Amino acid sequence: MLKGADIVLRCVRAEGVDLVFGYPGGAIMPLYDALDGSGVRHVLTRHEQGAVFAAEGFARVTGKVGVAMATSGPGATNLVTGIADAKMDSVPLVCITGQVRTAMIGTDAFQETDVFGVTLSLTKWSRLVRTIEEIPEVIAEGFYWARSGRPGPVVIDIPTDILKAKREFSGPVQFTPLARPADAKAEGAFSDAIVALLQQAERPVALVGAGAKLSGAIPELRRLLDDLNVPTFATVHGLGAVQPQSPYYLGMVGMHGTRAANTALHETDLLMVFGARLDDRVTGDPTRFAPNAKIVHFEIDPAQLDRVRACELPVIGNLADTIPTFHAVLRRASLPDWSGWRAVACGQERAELDPRGLAQPTIRFLDELFSRLPENSVIIADVGQHQMWAAQRYRAGSPRGFITSGGLGAMGFALPAAVGVQLAKPDTCVLCVSGDGGFQMNIQELATVRRLNLPVKMVIVDNKYLGMVRQWQQLFYERNYAETDLSDNPDFVDIAKAYKIHGWRLNEAAMAEYPVSAETGDSIDNFLRSPGPELLVFDCAPEANVYPMVPAGAALSEMVFEDIE
Amino acid sequence: MQVFHIRYRNAQGTLMRILNAVSRRGLDLTSVHAEAAAQDHGVTLQLEVTQKQVGQLCREWYAIVDVIEVRSSASLREHGDQDGAWAPHPPASASGDEPSARAALA
Repeated sequence: MLKGADIVLRCVRAEGVDLVFGYPGGAIMPLYDALDGSGVRHVLTRHEQGAVFAAEGFARVTGKVGVAMATSGPGATNLVTGIADAKMDSVPLVCITGQVRTAMIGTDAFQETDVFGVTLSLTKWSRLVRTIEEIPEVIAEGFYWARSGRPGPVVIDIPTDILKAKREFSGPVQFTPLARPADAKAEGAFSDAIVALLQQAERPVALVGAGAKLSGAIPELRRLLDDLNVPTFATVHGLGAVQPQSPYYLGMVGMHGTRAANTALHETDLLMVFGARLDDRVTGDPTRFAPNAKIVHFEIDPAQLDRVRACELPVIGNLADTIPTFHAVLRRASLPDWSGWRAVACGQERAELDPRGLAQPTIRFLDELFSRLPENSVIIADVGQHQMWAAQRYRAGSPRGFITSGGLGAMGFALPAAVGVQLAKPDTCVLCVSGDGGFQMNIQELATVRRLNLPVKMVIVDNKYLGMVRQWQQLFYERNYAETDLSDNPDFVDIAKAYKIHGWRLNEAAMAEYPVSAETGDSIDNFLRSPGPELLVFDCAPEANVYPMVPAGAALSEMVFEDIE
Repeated sequence: MQVFHIRYRNAQGTLMRILNAVSRRGLDLTSVHAEAAAQDHGVTLQLEVTQKQVGQLCREWYAIVDVIEVRSSASLREHGDQDGAWAPHPPASASGDEPSARAALA
């Protein structure tokens, strides 16, 4: 006879999970009681949001399912932002929550919330477990849906009496989904249609999103792009999917994308999208997005088609299947000579990020920092100006090397996510880049970093503002800096010291000389290569702005490159 | 007015997920009728939607893991309640023969 809690852990273990993140509490205590000897390592964060972001970091860097645990009521509701984040960014995540006793459900019992209802619209699948007998099936089905198709978040809510109950256990089970009538895979006919479009196209381009990484089809995609040899760019989640030194690669596209990428996207007459949602941060004004283009959309999730802009040719299926199918047909096809278009779109004239180039100290700093990173390092960016600067300057070809909260834009993501990444990749340099606002949203996870002695390298780009909001206030709200002033920030180096983490400060003046002095360079090298956790605070000009920028509601062709007051 | 018929497995929350796709768009539910249908369940919804929302809703419903089939048509009243008024809505890939591909090639 086993307790429900033991059955849960055995089933979770059978799904290949040996690491979970969580925070204990009343209703989930039986599960914590069963952890010892289960083969599942538990990492205690200092807040449930830290746990779910850490699980997301683990999942994003490995492609495996991340698991977070929390108790009922506030424990469960503290997971909600992470669940929404996983939904937006297609992260395989399973959240196991304790619930009040079955008999108490619906009575507004102590620490009772309807977590099933609260998370219904944010999850790919969820269950409130009703009997101990159904635990194996629920766990198996939950993990199946979390990792299948377009990955996403799953919530499994288990009443505490079911965790304590006992029954015979014959072992974990496997889940097999029932086929649906319209689940047929894309067949080869779409390839001929795309080739026909390419043969008519004069200015074709390719846009790469997260789906390319999630499908595991990066080698296939890169071979296809090499053969296509058309101007190519990436969403923020597509960064690293394309080798940045490829002559046809133009960098990031969208609101803070490069001039070259946004201009080519505006001018194209055939846009091929590989695993991207075409969300508003990528399209700008959807009515003026790629106005002359026909769109071919490779996508695993049909719900993402036509959401913002109708596509002419949807190709539904896993890119690992559809890209090779298309490529096989493309190889036999005769294509036009696009060298003239390529020369214009990829030419030096458009290549400069911004007319001021490397003049801005924060960009210099990030460039310097990134250039000194060991190979295969992972950068985790929080949300805000530093995120966009980091994305603009990311130049590595590592598909899972740049991690951020893209769709939801959840401040506070980076530090706990870095915990999950570092635990998944203990020998990898993990660089966490935050702003002063976002860092304080989960600053308590410094305790997790310290307890586990994780060698995470933390950078705070400190402009003493909620910088991105302030930038919008400057540009669009007549400098009314309403509630974005953080000039009374604590001393982050002192905070780090309180957690027994070494911290230091670098001033913008250190970037006046560029390339930086040997002394500054050595300091950065020592920071990146120190064996333990380190915090670096970079003092950034309060009113530094991120450019290029496509103002909200504008077309991608209406980028601005400097202050427009 | 558009009528949608959705066949689904009656697992926990499936009907709520179907309705949520409507409520998140701020649409009024003019009529909802759900019942067991053979081995599965079916729900018929009547909504005032734009043509763009028809496609979005159908695809979003089909992305729900326990939804089996989604069909839509103009209001039954407008079509005299004929079976032929129903148009299947599988979110299939385009092939060279399909209208969307033809439109792309035009």
